[in-house]
Amino acid sequence: MITQRRLDRAAYILFIALILLAPLVLGDFWVNRIAKFLVFGIVAVAVSLCWGYGGILNLGQGLFFGAGAYMLAMSLKLASATSMQQGSDHPVPDFMLWNADPGAPTELCCINRGSFLWLPFQWQWFGVVMGILLPVLLAGGLGLVVFRKRIAGVFVSVITLALVLLVRLVVIDAQPLTNGFNGLTDLGTFHVAGFGFDPYARATYYLVAGFLILTLVGSRLLVETRAGLILQAIRDDQNRARYLGFDVPIYQLFFFTVSAAISGLAGMLYVIVAEFASPTFMDLSFSITMVVWAALGGRASLLGACIGAILINVIAASISETATFVEAWKAIIGVVFVLVVLYLPRGLAGFAQDFGERLERRFADSGKTTTPGVIPQAQVPRGQAP
Amino acid sequence: MTVALTIDGIGVSFAGVKAVDNVSMLVHEGELRVLLGANGAGKTTLMDLISGKTRSTDGRVFLFETEITNWSPNRIARAGIGRKFQIPSVFRDFSVRGNLNVASCTDPRIRSNLGIGIPRTRRQRIEEVLELTGLAEFAETPAANLSHGQTQWLELGMLIVQNPKLLLLDEPTAGMTQNETHKTAEIIKGLRGQHTILVVEHDMAFVREIAEQITVMHLGRVLAEGSMTAIERNEAVRHAYLGSYGISAEAV
Repeated sequence: MITQRRLDRAAYILFIALILLAPLVLGDFWVNRIAKFLVFGIVAVAVSLCWGYGGILNLGQGLFFGAGAYMLAMSLKLASATSMQQGSDHPVPDFMLWNADPGAPTELCCINRGSFLWLPFQWQWFGVVMGILLPVLLAGGLGLVVFRKRIAGVFVSVITLALVLLVRLVVIDAQPLTNGFNGLTDLGTFHVAGFGFDPYARATYYLVAGFLILTLVGSRLLVETRAGLILQAIRDDQNRARYLGFDVPIYQLFFFTVSAAISGLAGMLYVIVAEFASPTFMDLSFSITMVVWAALGGRASLLGACIGAILINVIAASISETATFVEAWKAIIGVVFVLVVLYLPRGLAGFAQDFGERLERRFADSGKTTTPGVIPQAQVPRGQAP
Repeated sequence: MTVALTIDGIGVSFAGVKAVDNVSMLVHEGELRVLLGANGAGKTTLMDLISGKTRSTDGRVFLFETEITNWSPNRIARAGIGRKFQIPSVFRDFSVRGNLNVASCTDPRIRSNLGIGIPRTRRQRIEEVLELTGLAEFAETPAANLSHGQTQWLELGMLIVQNPKLLLLDEPTAGMTQNETHKTAEIIKGLRGQHTILVVEHDMAFVREIAEQITVMHLGRVLAEGSMTAIERNEAVRHAYLGSYGISAEAV
């Protein structure tokens, strides 16, 4: 038990050290690339928190990611140089004018019926605050209905899945406001106190890495609180938790919302690193890919899920660019996913834990052979998460 | 003597069938009451009505002075009623101690549970309960690996940790071996006086071992109430529930 804890802590420290040192050996191109993958790592932590610890399989995580991304992208779009060159004293997104009716006013307030919604996004920090607030409100509203109605299991997944598709359609349909399929491109850089975060700069990498570490350690502490234990208890047996006096929906709602906030944060960071926001963030396949990352890494391990996301993306980036694997890659990842679900339900993290336990047992055995009469207690494999 | 549980003419019907019909009952503080009755007599439904699992259509329930009729299950649990289910339910991914840790979070709000670790006074209580239920040596064992009997004791322990005013035990010895049944009786006898307990049980050997006051239910109604000997002599009970054989282990 103690060895297990120590190994666990060592894994966290090693991982954090690795991502902090990585830019020393990587070129600019790869620094930017890995920064994107670290963003995916943050998303995987959110999935693990919700699914692995809360038992809530959200197949629409992309909704929160997309909400965060669009909110910041709107601010950065207005901060872009092109938005100042549209013949107005105030920034106006170029696409809005392209989509405008002939003779429409060219001020942001009144180009079309909804364009005034963009006004407050002239302040970058409004976009940042909304990037967290919108996912939190969406998750709060959705969770309030779903969990109060005691909807559970696969039904939550179906509802979230439907919702992300619905929002995606709405975003595409609202072309004059969102630039539809094309998404928001040609964005300005994110500025903090006059310092600009260039996507290819190491500062941007460290911005993402810093938030990843914060999310990872913060989430880990959160699941170790009593509230975190109660959440896991609810995952194991909702009824028992209810009859012990816990208000089950409140706990589910809280962690669902935290998970959404983390996804929103990741969406914003992605916009800073990748310089665009697009409806593809709300594609079904992207949300499912997030779940695959967490499943491969180990949904019941925050660090495992995070590593899973980074690892898959690094492999995908290196392999899928060779001609042979471009098309085969998706099939490979599909097969790997099926194999993991069947034979490694706790993912890579579970594999590592078993290995750690075996080590511990070996140590314990060799220690105990010198003290006769003590029978080492049989180690029992940990139960699989439901 | 203070009345811990007051049930006043409670009833519920499912699709027109009265599962529990106008049941009234008083349980005093510190009393151990056994609910007897054949399958379908409404014993478990009565427990469901008390613990909030089922909403009643008539009548009222009081815990001491507080009316708890049709409150939500978690609110009733918080008010001080611990319910043990017929099929033992524990948190299988947690160790035995982990289960008790979760149960010992007596404040249900999230805000007050954002700390790490269990306060010392509650840890002491957990140790006491581990001793009481005989699970001390299995404290670190995952609950999924416990035997059936141990799982039942763990669930009982989780309730005791919460210091409930009233314990509802639905067939605490279901599926147990004779030894386990005996040990369960010992645990329950150990609780007598400190907790008010309502037990549903079929096992007559067990009932003989623990019972003080017995309430017999039949077809959703209370048929008789009294001590073991009084119930054994009661004509109506003999007739309705026990056939002509009288109360004995064989008859059940």
